[in-house]
Amino acid sequence: MGHEGKPVCENCIIGYERELQEICGAIERSGSDAPSHVAIIAEQMAGRKTLVAEIRRIYGDRVHYLPLDFVIRESDLPDFSTLASDIILIDNCQFLATRVIGGFDVLDIFLRTQITSKKIFITAWNTYSWQYLSSVMHIDVYFPTIITLTRMDTPVLKQVILSRYKPGEIRFIEDGAAERSMFFSLIHKKVRLPLTTAEIPLPWIKLNFTLMLRKLPRKKRLQISIEDVIFEKINRIAQGNPGVATLLWNSSLDKNTISLRFITETPYSISLDTNESFILSVILSMESLHEKDLAAIAGSEMDIKQVLYRLVQQGLVQNNAGYYSIPPFALGPVIDYLKKTRRLW
Amino acid sequence: MADTLLTNVTSEVASELPIKNIDVNLIVYIISIIVIAYVLTWLLSFILIHVSERIGWYRTSITMTIPLLKLLVYIVALYYIIIAVIEPSLTQMIAFSGLFGAAIGFGLKDLFADIVGGVVIIFEKPYQIGDKVTIDDKYGEVKDIGIRSTRIQTPADELVSIPNFTLFSRPVTSGNAGDLAMMIVIDLFIHPSSDAEKAMKILKEALVTSKYVIISKKYPYTVLLEDFPFYKRVRAKGYVNDLRLEFEFKSEVTRRAWGEFQKEGILPPSFVPPSGTLRGEPPQTST
Repeated sequence: MGHEGKPVCENCIIGYERELQEICGAIERSGSDAPSHVAIIAEQMAGRKTLVAEIRRIYGDRVHYLPLDFVIRESDLPDFSTLASDIILIDNCQFLATRVIGGFDVLDIFLRTQITSKKIFITAWNTYSWQYLSSVMHIDVYFPTIITLTRMDTPVLKQVILSRYKPGEIRFIEDGAAERSMFFSLIHKKVRLPLTTAEIPLPWIKLNFTLMLRKLPRKKRLQISIEDVIFEKINRIAQGNPGVATLLWNSSLDKNTISLRFITETPYSISLDTNESFILSVILSMESLHEKDLAAIAGSEMDIKQVLYRLVQQGLVQNNAGYYSIPPFALGPVIDYLKKTRRLW
Repeated sequence: MADTLLTNVTSEVASELPIKNIDVNLIVYIISIIVIAYVLTWLLSFILIHVSERIGWYRTSITMTIPLLKLLVYIVALYYIIIAVIEPSLTQMIAFSGLFGAAIGFGLKDLFADIVGGVVIIFEKPYQIGDKVTIDDKYGEVKDIGIRSTRIQTPADELVSIPNFTLFSRPVTSGNAGDLAMMIVIDLFIHPSSDAEKAMKILKEALVTSKYVIISKKYPYTVLLEDFPFYKRVRAKGYVNDLRLEFEFKSEVTRRAWGEFQKEGILPPSFVPPSGTLRGEPPQTST
């Protein structure tokens, strides 16, 4: 399967019009005496980079762009007062702090610099890092304008993805012939029951979208097309994350053709101990962390190599040249699991 | 005198009830009902506890239904036994059960006091299954609330059965009141000449970076300093995200904080504070 459709609009900002207007409003309102600093908060792949790119495009030379790619030390912070630009745009601000004793000093210095500066700071944060730092350090009080990119609804997602193509360029196919005989298909999911080690096939009811669509009254059938059903499925798997949804779309598209059958969901069966859950939550909130930073966070009582091995083996974490991150399709299951186990507050 | 009067009244009411002939079949039937009720309550507890262990955040919401379900099962079982023996009308049943209860109550008042205590625990919820409680100087996690007694598991892994009647006569303390998170107090004692401000910062960061902590508006944390004649006490109050990990949480924060204290030259006091300052626990002057 491959994606051969040609994007029509590369720099579109569909879905974040309101957020962009709020940011522009905060910039325009900001006087040099009391700049209204902005915090953009979003989950990994949830559109933060798109919004940052749009701000850079709109404000051009007024912006000094500072993307952070790793945990920074005090010496890595530039002297903001010497910069000519009046807008300082910093991406991945979660790298300003780490979850170790003494790991908040750089963030503390940054926040103190920011509140005494005459420049406007636009900072972008990972949602879970922001939530943690807000609880621990109350960083939200430093930002009069807080923009949260929420999960995307299906109609908006459909608009975002289809805006890359010409009208009629993508063919949506109604298939699933084997499943058409019933509204619900009985399948057998392999599950591991408590107190047992072996997996057993458990009868499971699977909704038959295609047939449900065909059986709907004429009025509703006009409203719900196969196109909508396909995007509904993509968005359900992506859990409203546009980045994950786009990846899923790309991997499901076959020669500009897509059908429900092509959209496959990766199953995850997550079972972690306290150390593994903790490290996974740290990776999720930082998005990408080097092994040495993880080792510092883990401390001496935790065998970080063993923990990372277990996480990689379960497909929950990927290693890219020593940097660990969560694979896009594992994001939804990982977030659900960590919320359930109270690792995300 | 009261006993004799009650016995006479009970006999008169009983004589008017259509009591069936008690034969082997009836006895087997009653035993079967008791066994089924027992197995059913055991099965319900087993299933719900296992479901609650897998459900994470809402663990205590599931376990709190167990005592209530047990009570329902026993009430239904008792109802079936009564109608199997006497087939009463509603009025007769109410009159008989009142007198029957009173008659038995005189002989087995302690047992019935425990049962009433169990019912009060179920409805008033001074504690629930999964809570960390102190009852009659015994501290531990509530593992089961039975009809007669409450079983708690102490930190030393002992299973202590406490009669439910204790609720009426002794103070009962619940550390978490049905929540999965529980506030933990961590005290570190430092030398009076040590940098207390630095010690507070270190302890705060050891607390907020712990893998066991939960912090939010509902679960705030604080770090306090108190000056004593021969030492200073740095106290951190924070919530552990799962009350079963309270000791691991305390240990981890204390160990990491002391590691950092040593690097920063913060010393333990030369005088060991009395253990009473730590609610009966030994002082954590060093690790």
